[in-house]
Amino acid sequence: MPDERVPTEKDLVPPAEAPLVPPSPPAIEQFAMAGEAAAGTITGIPGRTRVERIRTVVVYTLLFGIALVYFVPCLWTLSTSLKTLPETAYFKLLPEHPTLDAYKDAFTTFDFSRYAANSAGLALTVAALNVFLCSLGGYAFARLKFPGREVLFFVVLATLMVPDQLRLVPVYRIYSDHGLLDHYHGYVLIKLAAAAQLFLMRQYFLTIPKDLEEAAKLDGAGYFKTFWKVMLPLAGPAIAAVAILEFEGTWNDFFWPLVIFRSPSHYTLPVGIFSFVSEHRTLWPQLTAGSVIAIAPVAAIYIFFQRYFVAGVASAGVKG
Amino acid sequence: MAATATSTEHGTSIGGQRLREALVGYSFIAIPMFVYGLLFLFPIAYAIYISRYNWGILGKIEPDPIGLDNYREAFHDERFGIAIKNGLKFTISFTIFTMALGLFVAVVVNNAIRWRGFFRSAFYFPAISGSAAITAIAIYILSVDGLFNRITGLHHAWFGESGTALWAIVGLNSWTTSGTVMLFYLAYLQAIPTDVYEAAAIDGAGAWRTFWKVTFPLLKPGHFFVSTLLVIGGLKMFDQAFIASGGNGGPNNATLVPVLYLYRVAFYDARYGFAAAVGLVLMLLMLTLTLVQRLLFGRGEAA
Repeated sequence: MPDERVPTEKDLVPPAEAPLVPPSPPAIEQFAMAGEAAAGTITGIPGRTRVERIRTVVVYTLLFGIALVYFVPCLWTLSTSLKTLPETAYFKLLPEHPTLDAYKDAFTTFDFSRYAANSAGLALTVAALNVFLCSLGGYAFARLKFPGREVLFFVVLATLMVPDQLRLVPVYRIYSDHGLLDHYHGYVLIKLAAAAQLFLMRQYFLTIPKDLEEAAKLDGAGYFKTFWKVMLPLAGPAIAAVAILEFEGTWNDFFWPLVIFRSPSHYTLPVGIFSFVSEHRTLWPQLTAGSVIAIAPVAAIYIFFQRYFVAGVASAGVKG
Repeated sequence: MAATATSTEHGTSIGGQRLREALVGYSFIAIPMFVYGLLFLFPIAYAIYISRYNWGILGKIEPDPIGLDNYREAFHDERFGIAIKNGLKFTISFTIFTMALGLFVAVVVNNAIRWRGFFRSAFYFPAISGSAAITAIAIYILSVDGLFNRITGLHHAWFGESGTALWAIVGLNSWTTSGTVMLFYLAYLQAIPTDVYEAAAIDGAGAWRTFWKVTFPLLKPGHFFVSTLLVIGGLKMFDQAFIASGGNGGPNNATLVPVLYLYRVAFYDARYGFAAAVGLVLMLLMLTLTLVQRLLFGRGEAA
């Protein structure tokens, strides 16, 4: 299937040659080395340390090599966003006279301030609504008894299997029939209560012991009060995961904003970037500045709340 | 008499409490269930319904259903064929590259190394960046005067020529997705008990052999899980192709992937009935591929 130009990916990412280098998990390596040393040379211990040292060098070389491939595009982008357009014609790693002009331009001339405000508003709204609705629903599915609970929960899980492209046409028709197109609340409705997050909250509530609720019930607290005062404060990590994942997902979402928002004043950052790319493809400093504006907030959240991202990825692995 | 009275009273209060609990339960899940009904369940029925009509902007163009004509047309449409071919080409290469890269990085990071957390986070970083921003960056870096050509000494418009446009997206997506795959593989690697390696070492197996004979087969549930995720993700790929080609799937249909085709049929041609049929065909294709995968790798342990 590949034609002669396939080397592309090989140079862009290391996968093609990567697997050829012997990978080495610690346990395998350690024991294998011990075995080799014992079998090969009489002086087992020095041989082993030499092999260990080689192994360390190889592992670190690989690590920095991979890190370079992962980081160079990002650093190059950052550097370009601090240049002027004429300067991008030369192959210079760092800008000679770093300037924020490209950012100023992006924010004022190209409306990225509007896009950023839209993105932030929608992402915060969606995150807050998901936290509330998914924890409330997750609590009901985890703790309350009502007829049809299992069937309804199956419906929640089944929605995870429905791909967006199957929904695309019907949802668009429903939206155009009911005047929801090009409205912020139309977008929020689509992201209102993600099934994956409802599932995550339910699983978390199932792990909380029942004693505390029993105590609250004896004190005469109602269901909502028990949920609000007892359960919610105990679900901190899960709530943080839901909030962060939904914020990130909405902030980065391209597909639904593209479908729903028609007027440029409603564009979010991803759609704004697309429209910028279509119209001014080669204004590199502004383009890279726009990309940095779109990536920076999520990157900041990632740096501070890493473990919740990982929790989200892990929960995707927990299947229903 | 008195005894029966109290027992009925007791009974109703339990019944009343049950009823109350049920009503509270329903009210707590009401909004999400309404949304799922409106935007997931109803759309499926609606898609099946309009896929049997010639359906335009204002609704039915012809009053009578045209049966399976939309499906028949989809199977004979040349561009849909191209889109499916591109989709499969993309999905297969993307899945293989991403798994290889993700596994490789996971195995390296799984070593007892310094700054392990740092490297793990660094490699996951591209995965958190939005598709639009990262595609814009790729357009810049892979442009004729871009960084990639400067480093390699080539002079090629990677997204601009039909021979390389799709491969550029394969490279881009493998790069961004490999961080996620690495995290999954790390979890599966850490689940392998160490005594397996001890046994391999006693048998005198070297690192290379141990990896292929012990680690790789033991990661089978991981391979299954990751490949399922990547195959479905690959078939759904849209953002990168749409942005890189300016929405038209070019050059010369090289990046016309299935969802992009669907999008164009719906929003450029306004043929909603036909688009609904295409969407259903795509969903069936995805479900079939997932089932085939399950049969190939599944065998219960991973499912």
